[in-house]
Amino acid sequence: MAGPWTVVEGDPPVPDTLKIVVAGGFGAGKTTLVSTLSEVESLHTEEIMTSRSVGVDDLAGVEDKTTTTVALDFGRITLDASTVVYLFGTPGQRRFSYMWEELSQGALGAIVIADTRRLADSFDSIDFFESRRLPFVVAVNCFDGQRTHRAEDVRVALDLAEEVPLSLCDARDRESVKGVLVELVELVLRLELAGAQGPL
Amino acid sequence: MSAYEEDDRSVESNLIRPYSLTGGRTRPSRGDLTVTSQVVAVPSMGSADLDPELELILSVCARPVSVAEVASRAGLPLGVLRVLLSDLLDQGRVVAHTSPWEHRRPDADTLRSVLDGIRRL
Ligand SMILES: Nc1nc2c(ncn2[C@@H]2O[C@H](COP(=O)(O)OP(=O)(O)OP(=O)(O)O)[C@@H](O)[C@H]2O)c(=O)[nH]1
Ligand SMILES: [Mg+2]
Repeated sequence: MAGPWTVVEGDPPVPDTLKIVVAGGFGAGKTTLVSTLSEVESLHTEEIMTSRSVGVDDLAGVEDKTTTTVALDFGRITLDASTVVYLFGTPGQRRFSYMWEELSQGALGAIVIADTRRLADSFDSIDFFESRRLPFVVAVNCFDGQRTHRAEDVRVALDLAEEVPLSLCDARDRESVKGVLVELVELVLRLELAGAQGPL
Repeated sequence: MSAYEEDDRSVESNLIRPYSLTGGRTRPSRGDLTVTSQVVAVPSMGSADLDPELELILSVCARPVSVAEVASRAGLPLGVLRVLLSDLLDQGRVVAHTSPWEHRRPDADTLRSVLDGIRRL
């Protein structure tokens, strides 16, 4: 265990963590995908968009300032005693890009959930992860009756680069979500082996 | 509540109240606590005379747990929690471990074993 403050010794061992960001539009299946593999149920927290987002350092005396909360769902997946993966679900609108920025920091990669009923909802987060050079995959959530969509049609509609993996998935299904995670980590591995990783 | 239910109207007013717990501070005293940093209370330090929120935080991290999980279980917004947790770190009541992968990407071997781990799930 490296890291600046490895002061925690003995049992239980403190695992190293990997963080994956899950972005997607309203009702795209973020909460579902994050919880499908999670060993703890419905972890949920909130962030108040203030400080960095509006440049306020000290909120004393500004109680009437308009703020917004951002809901964050997250899931924990223990791979082994020393490795834990966290999935963080974050809203898809650009005005929450403050949250994407924060969560992308030090992240392994991202999963963009595209809802075929509202493909345009995923444009902003795709643009963001592209510009941030964070490796990402697109998971097209197959809602009932939508399985007719061909992956290639979605790729064209999203104007997605060839090297971005895209697959159909069911966020409720373990094997399906495992497949999406595997795709993401394989992508990161390919980039690593090619020496093509962006800055962290 | 989903962030979308309030989509076009920002929720105003008392949402900022939790920051009274921090004396209005929005920035933690240290910048090295991430949402996945693992924190654990230092048992020998005791918690007499602490604010109830700080006591609650200490009880939640009796075992190593991520910052995000502490926020979730303590029912505090992440930003607020991070300020309070940084104070506890400064006081030596809590220690933290931040994954090296926050600072440098995992190498190929690590990624391969992560892949194996996911496939085994
Ligand atoms: N058929 C089908 N339904 C799904 C799938 N994923 C999610 N759902 C359903 O779609 C609805 C919305 O899913 P959520 O996981 O809550 O979506 P979300 O992105 O978290 O939604 P918000 O947080 O409100 O934006 C729920 O009723 C899910 O059960 C899927 O892959 N297939
Ligand atoms: Mg949700």
